[in-house]
Amino acid sequence: MKRVAVVGVGQTKFRTRRDDKTHPELTREAVSRALEHAGITMDDVDAFVFGTMDPFDGINCPDRWSSTAAGFGKPFMKISTGGTTGLTTGIAAYQHVASGLFDVVVAVCTQRVGENVDAQPVLNTAVDPIYERYSGVGAISVAAIQATVHMQKYGTTEEQMAWVSVKDHENALKNPYAHIQKRLSVEDVLSSPVVSSPLKLYECCPRSDGSVAVVFASGEKAEEIRDNPAWILAESSISDSYFVGDRPDLAVWDSLTIAGRRLYRLAGIDDPKKDIDVAELYSPFTIQEILELEALGFAEKGEGAGLAEEGVTFVDGDMPTNPSGGVLCTNPIGATGLVRLGEASLQVMGEASNQVDGAEVALAHAWGGTLQFHALMLVSSHKKLRR
Amino acid sequence: MKVGIVGIGITSFGVHKEPFYNIAYEAAKKALEDAEMERHEIDNVVLGGYDVAVGRTISNMYTAPAAGGYLKDEIRVSDDAAYALALAYMRIKSGIFDVAMVLGYGHCSETPMELVELLSLDPFFHRDLGISYQMSYAMQSYAYRMRYGIDDETAAEVVVRARKRASKYEYAHVREEVTADEVLSSEMAIFPLRKLELPPWSDGCVALILAEETIAKRISSEPVWVEGLGWHTENYYLGSRDLAELFSTKKAAEKAYKMAGCDAKDVEAAEVMDLTPYHHLMALEALGFAASGRGKEVVESGFPVNSSGGALCTNAHGTTGLFLTASLALQIRDGRDRGIASAVSGYAAQNSIVTILGV
Amino acid sequence: MVLRIEAKWEIPYVHSAGEHATKFFEALKEKKILGVKCPKCKRVLVPPRAFCERCHVDTDEWVEVKDEGVVETVTINYARFTGLPDPPYAVGIVKLDGADTGMLAYLGGVDLSDWKKAHEKLKVGTRVKAVWKDKPEGRITDILYFKPVEE
Ligand SMILES: [Zn+2]
Repeated sequence: MKRVAVVGVGQTKFRTRRDDKTHPELTREAVSRALEHAGITMDDVDAFVFGTMDPFDGINCPDRWSSTAAGFGKPFMKISTGGTTGLTTGIAAYQHVASGLFDVVVAVCTQRVGENVDAQPVLNTAVDPIYERYSGVGAISVAAIQATVHMQKYGTTEEQMAWVSVKDHENALKNPYAHIQKRLSVEDVLSSPVVSSPLKLYECCPRSDGSVAVVFASGEKAEEIRDNPAWILAESSISDSYFVGDRPDLAVWDSLTIAGRRLYRLAGIDDPKKDIDVAELYSPFTIQEILELEALGFAEKGEGAGLAEEGVTFVDGDMPTNPSGGVLCTNPIGATGLVRLGEASLQVMGEASNQVDGAEVALAHAWGGTLQFHALMLVSSHKKLRR
Repeated sequence: MKVGIVGIGITSFGVHKEPFYNIAYEAAKKALEDAEMERHEIDNVVLGGYDVAVGRTISNMYTAPAAGGYLKDEIRVSDDAAYALALAYMRIKSGIFDVAMVLGYGHCSETPMELVELLSLDPFFHRDLGISYQMSYAMQSYAYRMRYGIDDETAAEVVVRARKRASKYEYAHVREEVTADEVLSSEMAIFPLRKLELPPWSDGCVALILAEETIAKRISSEPVWVEGLGWHTENYYLGSRDLAELFSTKKAAEKAYKMAGCDAKDVEAAEVMDLTPYHHLMALEALGFAASGRGKEVVESGFPVNSSGGALCTNAHGTTGLFLTASLALQIRDGRDRGIASAVSGYAAQNSIVTILGV
Repeated sequence: MVLRIEAKWEIPYVHSAGEHATKFFEALKEKKILGVKCPKCKRVLVPPRAFCERCHVDTDEWVEVKDEGVVETVTINYARFTGLPDPPYAVGIVKLDGADTGMLAYLGGVDLSDWKKAHEKLKVGTRVKAVWKDKPEGRITDILYFKPVEE
């Protein structure tokens, strides 16, 4: 299989609104930064892959307008898969290069959730209008029903979940692109209003505007472009059935375990705890980081809850998780997955704003649908997994 | 290593009473039956279609399981599903996957598509002007017509022939034959397009199973090989383009021919996404079958174009291009050696994708 | 200074439930809940669907399930979101007796003002029963909510 690497990452500052720029202007900001980071120009790019979730920006297929900043006059493909969009856009761009059809491909995702007066009704339209939409279920509710079960089954406490938020907010202070930059205490989290029980306001992500671009290059090109490319070891994605009531046990995210198992097999990972140095997980709600750590083999079932409180997932801990501040502090929904890949790549390049010492292998994750989809990518400072 | 089509499933096109995901399931099942395969032999699904058109924010939540994607790798292009075929090709060509279910869905009967497309315009410069999707294609038609002196009769003849072929194609939506007089006397809808020169809005799904060469040969005695692919995007701002040419299709075709190592004279059949009769002619020119302004000569020559009836007779927004590609694949199975299919999306054919299939 | 334009999407849709799901809604009019049994994996799927995602086969064996079951999980929404119901409201997954999958539904019949007390009454495993509209219309909202069964 052809080797492919990430050779450039560019992000905009994420904020609730970016009134200063139009959709394509925002896209351009991220693309320009990514090209600059890679030290290449638009002429060097063979194709673009664009990701966004359509209805959030108030423009249907905003890619058509935004493509003016992302390669009109070049092959351009639009990906949209739900919350996983950012990462599946990265996966598609990787496959563009891995197929041998293109040498340098840019993945770019722009999302303006802030232009939407309220994102939850849009998320609710993802729910079947025939059976389920009436219930007012959005992303918060599906995370909350996971929390309810995890707490009752494993005794996970409100304090333990609050620690996840404290950790992410601490990390975001070091990330200049992060949306929410505010130090929080456990008490702050616990005393914030309950949004969807048992989840409280500071356990939930903000709505963010912004764009992110990641440059992919074939092996030879990558080595020409930079001496510290982030090599892609493997990717994996999965779809569960549609109805959320079908999930056999909401206290475990078994579809993520299956996707993770495939990823590890492809990359040759025996023990994720030992072989993976840092993870950027899609956890817009505290409980989800816990479920994801367990599903991906970083903790035994029911034992992920204590990791933040014990310091394990802090940047200097044994399993640094979301050193960027994660999705809890920045969530431009359809772009979020690609931010995870960008941050994971910067970690193994040794260039992250909140760098994990000696990180060689980093994991990027995204989920979407009503707990239906996952996407995963693994990057490394080496072409192959080194143990 | 080649990538081949080993299963073809096309549902009927028209107005369906069933929701789009049930139609999608029917298409996937037909493709599996056609290939004599089980769902478990697929290792990934690649979907294509639009969210707002079907009224669901993440429409792949419905179509991924319908395509057989339960606990399998899944991805979706939010564009004409002809792009999904290109992505599936790359997923297999890279060695990452072996067998892909490509599924395209379009369902236009539940909501006004003009409004859905209008919302794809930026809210500042274009949307307030109320320019409909068809109007952008009409503007293109007019620019082409004026530059090359194309008359009403030529456009009408394209429609007459399209309907005639659709009448013999079981999957086509509009299958009633019309005469040139009927076309010419039908009411003016969007100048210069008359009512009978506009495509229908259709419901329907298409599923194609793609497999890596060695596996493809195990599954099928005669796979249809994907020989060439090219896609290209033009400027969003209509005023910045030469509307009298299908430039995006032309550039996409150049890439596809280069990849296939052939040109227009090596091609035996074409399926083009003719959202107007003028686009029928423009596409033929962009694909290299005639010089600019002379597409009508291809029509007169009897060269097999749009045996399916084309987009003028079947237009399920989101999978029209893949419908044409699948129809071309059927013709290759029936004995043609090589064919080309082109699809467009966006206002005034901003985006284009061209696929070359062969034996 | 930047120009800001207010916009609102209003797109009318007429969604078809299809013949299969229509049976489910017809049965609701008689306060009955129907599921389908997959001919292959034998699971009873509620809400019913035209095909089993796991087995990729048609499902046409209809079975009636009880309007009573157990709570699999719950959350209570306290925030106000545009276009969504007025808070607080409780949503959960209920596995009905006779079904192999859970169904998303409102939960009620308990005081929701204090979420911890409400969660105590709607614990995972709590038996609940449907409270129906007086005159069902064949819509999912015919089931007003599921409420705990008094022991
Ligand atoms: Zn089954």
